[in-house]
Amino acid sequence: MMAVSCLTRALRSLTLSQPALLSSQAVAQTKLGAQAPCSLGQCRGFLTTAPLEQNRKHWKQSEKYTIKPIGMKKTGGRDYSGRIRTHGIGGGHKQKYRCIDFQRLRYEADKESQPFEEKVVEVRYDPCRSADIALLAGGKRKRWIIATENMQAGDIIKTSGVIGRMAVSANEGDAYPLGALPVGTLVNNLEIQPGKGSEYIRAAGTSGVLLRKVNGTAIVQLPSKQQVQVLETCIVTVGRVSNIDHNKRIIGKAGRNRWLGRRPSSGLWQRKGGWAGRKIKPLPPMKSFINLPAISAK
Amino acid sequence: MFPETVQCLKTAAPLFCQAAFLKDLRRLSAHGGASCLQARRHFGVSRCLTAKVPPPPKPREKVEIPGLEMITYSERMHYVPGLSKPVFPSWEREYKDPGHYRSPPLQEMPLHKEKPCYVYNQRTNALEGVHQALWLTKTKLISGLPPQMLSLAENPANQIPDQNERVQNAIRHARFWDTTEERPGIDKYSNTLLFNLLHLCATLQSSHPAIGRRILAEKYSLAATWKRGEDLFQIRGQNGLLYNSMDPLPEVSGKQEVADTTDHILEDFYPVSPTIDLQEVHVYNEEVNCSGFRGDYPYPHAHTLYFIGGADTHCKLQPEQFRAKMVMFTFGNALARAHKLYGTQPQRVLDRPITLQAVGTNGRIFHFMVFQLNTTDLSGDDGIKNQVWLDKDVELYEFAKVRPLIKKKQVMVPAGLAGYKPETFSKFLALYLHGAV
Repeated sequence: MMAVSCLTRALRSLTLSQPALLSSQAVAQTKLGAQAPCSLGQCRGFLTTAPLEQNRKHWKQSEKYTIKPIGMKKTGGRDYSGRIRTHGIGGGHKQKYRCIDFQRLRYEADKESQPFEEKVVEVRYDPCRSADIALLAGGKRKRWIIATENMQAGDIIKTSGVIGRMAVSANEGDAYPLGALPVGTLVNNLEIQPGKGSEYIRAAGTSGVLLRKVNGTAIVQLPSKQQVQVLETCIVTVGRVSNIDHNKRIIGKAGRNRWLGRRPSSGLWQRKGGWAGRKIKPLPPMKSFINLPAISAK
Repeated sequence: MFPETVQCLKTAAPLFCQAAFLKDLRRLSAHGGASCLQARRHFGVSRCLTAKVPPPPKPREKVEIPGLEMITYSERMHYVPGLSKPVFPSWEREYKDPGHYRSPPLQEMPLHKEKPCYVYNQRTNALEGVHQALWLTKTKLISGLPPQMLSLAENPANQIPDQNERVQNAIRHARFWDTTEERPGIDKYSNTLLFNLLHLCATLQSSHPAIGRRILAEKYSLAATWKRGEDLFQIRGQNGLLYNSMDPLPEVSGKQEVADTTDHILEDFYPVSPTIDLQEVHVYNEEVNCSGFRGDYPYPHAHTLYFIGGADTHCKLQPEQFRAKMVMFTFGNALARAHKLYGTQPQRVLDRPITLQAVGTNGRIFHFMVFQLNTTDLSGDDGIKNQVWLDKDVELYEFAKVRPLIKKKQVMVPAGLAGYKPETFSKFLALYLHGAV
């Protein structure tokens, strides 16, 4: 008991002196205190989990663009805490990541604001996505982009940021702003904010349809039949994405799924809830990505 | 005992574990995880490590108020809370110590220039291959070797006794016998084969005394500069084996043909720029022209360049790019020689065109090239062009297999050397003997 009271007295004195040292970080500490509860009663002994930094995408952080394939680290469906967040991912053939340039309208250093042309050097398979990728060479630089349906080595591809009064009759593979294209063209690699880079319609064989153009904005139907309204200066490429028979392929055996990095689902029969089954419901309302000044931000 | 300790430790522990937690996190996140990719055991029992890492705190902005003297703790020699951190003047060594030298940033280097220079070195992989090399060197391509070479090749007086037998033995030595392992690698056998063939050609010295006025040189560094359009180009590097001679090579095409090249239009490859894949440098020496040898070298005239395809393991070139490298380095050698003889001012027509040869091989397939430098005026696209005769993809033999290729119990390709073609070696010999006959 004596020893214990000495110990507690010592610890109490420590608590009094600590705040002086860490006064500037008190706020951070309270926050951390909430996040890091000490499991005092049930502490384990020693922790054998690997440290936090394992699942950060450090391999993808270089700022310089290169066409050389980069070695990639697989996550196995695990998140930053090390636990599985998405089941069924893991294993599979090793893959190298090729940096794709999704911002199609990227001018070279000294040639600003002019439509430019690039030559397709080769079209090849990309292990990281369902579509094929194409190596473009123009001016002094080379970059990878998502290939469209009939792209072949030796083609010349045009990219332009100019919206004229007349709609341009676009060839497949060219990239134009939405305002310059005629209504009804099949488009892919849609960007919803101008200059951000394309985030929609990139999978194999997909294409969106330009439905109508309404004073300064354009409405595009995505492959899921949802309609989006975006500014007409957003760049899209014309045509369908390559590898159109991707959805018709037959996996054939369980092993092929494992090569693709998909682990088997749990075999336990689980009662399906309200999420399962066919649903027939009206199309969701059109999503608008234009920030109109009249509508206040929510 | 327990409630008391638990209470006290609970009050102590938040600050305790947070201090250590912060320290741990700082240690973990400070290096960006580079040092912590090894899984290690954590013996700390008081805290959970699987929380999200907080973002690194931004350091407080230092406000400089002119005229205000900051009281620092430099005299006290230890940190005092409340006093500012002293800023000491940066110390620089008075003498030059090459072991502790930090190079200045690129913009402050003495040779820094605004205008970039595009350098072709021995590891450049030109996208457009031979077309790009032809545009850069303002050259006209003629496929096939010039007729003088072919007649040289067929002349029986220029042949080695037992030529076919000896060449086949040379190939077998390079491909099969030169190792203690099962088969030698491509870098070894291409090298051995080239030296064996050169040795065979050199045995003709008894009948052709001019061969004695030549010598082989390896690992020499070439440098040549020229202007093309508005861009400055340089070619630098150690390319391969050089065969030097005391006498220059005779010119291959006459004055009339040289004048006819004015009508030839260089092939453009829009939209790709001709400077693609070249190394862009802003720190360079202008007007650097060095053939790799000093002025008083007894063998000043370059005769033939020998390129070995498998030599550089880091840089594997496709055949088209390999031929482009051959063209560029042959041109570089010729240009360095021309600058030495006629000065660095661009000359529209050289009185005596400089002729050079090149042979490139990957151990089985040979590319033969004859280059004639007619002009050093390379800025415009018109005018007299240089000429290159290129004989590409000539096989010396078809197969040299250590183990026979058997499909469905039938021997498709036997073990050993198969499909030897004697014409290739006669072309090789013709290029060797050109100028010595």
